[in-house]
Amino acid sequence: MSRLFRMPPQVFRIFLLALGIVVVYSIARYFLTPDSFGEYGWYRGEALAELAKREPVYAGKAACAECHSDEYQALVKHEHKTLSCESCHGTGQAHADNPDVKMEMLNYGHCVRCHQASPSRPKWLKQIASKAHYAGSKCTECHVPHSPTEVP
Amino acid sequence: MTNAVTNVVAELIPHFEGYVYPNEATQQPLWSILIVLYPYITGLVAGAFIMASLVRVFNVKALEPVYRLSMLTAFAFLLCAPLPLLFHLGHPERCFEVMMTPHLTSPMAIFGFVYAWYLMAVLLLELWFDYRRDFVEWSEVTPGFRGTLYRLFTVGVTDVSDPALKLDFKIGHILSVVGIPSAFLLHGYVGFIFGSVKANPWWGNALMPIIFIMSAMVSGIALCVFNYMVLSWVRRKALDMKCLDVMCMFLFYALVVDAAIEGLDWIHRIYSAEEGFQVIQYMAREKLFYTLSLGQVTLGTLVPLLLLGSLQLLRRRVPDLIRRRMYFASGALILLGVLAMRWNVVIGGQTFSKSLRGVMTYKMEFAGLEGWYMGAALLLLPFIILTVFVKIFLSEKLPSTAPLEPHPAHAR
Repeated sequence: MSRLFRMPPQVFRIFLLALGIVVVYSIARYFLTPDSFGEYGWYRGEALAELAKREPVYAGKAACAECHSDEYQALVKHEHKTLSCESCHGTGQAHADNPDVKMEMLNYGHCVRCHQASPSRPKWLKQIASKAHYAGSKCTECHVPHSPTEVP
Repeated sequence: MTNAVTNVVAELIPHFEGYVYPNEATQQPLWSILIVLYPYITGLVAGAFIMASLVRVFNVKALEPVYRLSMLTAFAFLLCAPLPLLFHLGHPERCFEVMMTPHLTSPMAIFGFVYAWYLMAVLLLELWFDYRRDFVEWSEVTPGFRGTLYRLFTVGVTDVSDPALKLDFKIGHILSVVGIPSAFLLHGYVGFIFGSVKANPWWGNALMPIIFIMSAMVSGIALCVFNYMVLSWVRRKALDMKCLDVMCMFLFYALVVDAAIEGLDWIHRIYSAEEGFQVIQYMAREKLFYTLSLGQVTLGTLVPLLLLGSLQLLRRRVPDLIRRRMYFASGALILLGVLAMRWNVVIGGQTFSKSLRGVMTYKMEFAGLEGWYMGAALLLLPFIILTVFVKIFLSEKLPSTAPLEPHPAHAR
């Protein structure tokens, strides 16, 4: 111990300070590292359960069909049968729980998400160049989204 | 309402051109302006530190007036270096966890080690041993809060005898020698994060860490030139022209090496013309024209090379005033050019499709978390911190020992 004290004073103090920082860090690390850290990998194990606990915001097609059977019947007979209602109409769990809560009807930008011309899309998918194809008019003036092959 | 407005704006710009995978056509790049600033700020730290070590390790006497300023610059910017990453993660309440759980299994998580080593073991220690004598003297003559602060910084050691100061100098020297590879490590590591992404032809390149280190040195020295000139102007003090000349000489040679290595990288890419080359060529000609050809190459490299290079030849014939203006212009242009270089690397690497046959568009937010305001604030913050440091540690009112006054026995 006496040899330790023979260190030059500034080095000794800095050494003590560094030791203090390491001790404080170790204590902080002990308390601040999340409990479930490292349970499965280098992340909080609890995060998985937390994510699973989140309230679903999508109700699913079956829930829509319970009340809106006409639209549902029209949809399943045509090309858009594989689409989910909520792909275009937005999330629906709140509306399914309480019909007074209105759905947020999304705008027509959704049509071109699939139908905008792109060489990367398969040929069988009907594609348009939205700027050239009746620019300025709404898609629904000419097309019926639930039964695309019919004319309004 | 917001939804309608944003959709209109989004429809005005073309999202993509050419052959792009459907998921790439709609997404914005994951790494935005904040990740552009991260290597930029880190590079400034490494560069400013290397600039300071020119005095310590390589004994360049002419640069002594800027030694402390460069060290403080490195310190102020290092404090801000992790901020862009933490803001980008979007969970400020968990920001300390990256420091609590560093590990070696991912390049991003190594940051905890690299950062702690560089800040605690190198920069703070070197600054402390350099300032110890001043802290002791200042704490005796300064009253009030400031005096208490200086007393606190002495950590209770008041020994300023000759052998003690000699030891301080020796330790500072050793730390500086250790600091150079550490600065290379810090910034080489940032280059490695990009260079190790082998699926991306814009990034995956063994030269990347070296390019990053060289551009960091260039930007760091340019920042020191900029800070020194601004500080002297604010304090109405005459510039030490010899110091400025030498600083800009190093800036010129660092820029020559940097430009040569980046040029070599391009020559290699052009000659080998691997499968991703066409899209890289398109990016350079069209998408990144302003930031690459104009910003990085012309304004950030060629113009400063010309300005600084001509001054290397004609230094004696150019009057001081014009020389000062040319130096200032070169420093500012290089700072912008290196920022453009970081932009080209980070944004450029994400705006072409994985198909290598198409490109996407990056539309920067204005006021959002990853927008213009945030970027400007993050670039301004280190300068504000530096102003506080300069007020405390480079105060005009306090007698300062000549920076780095080695013990006579040690002087060469």
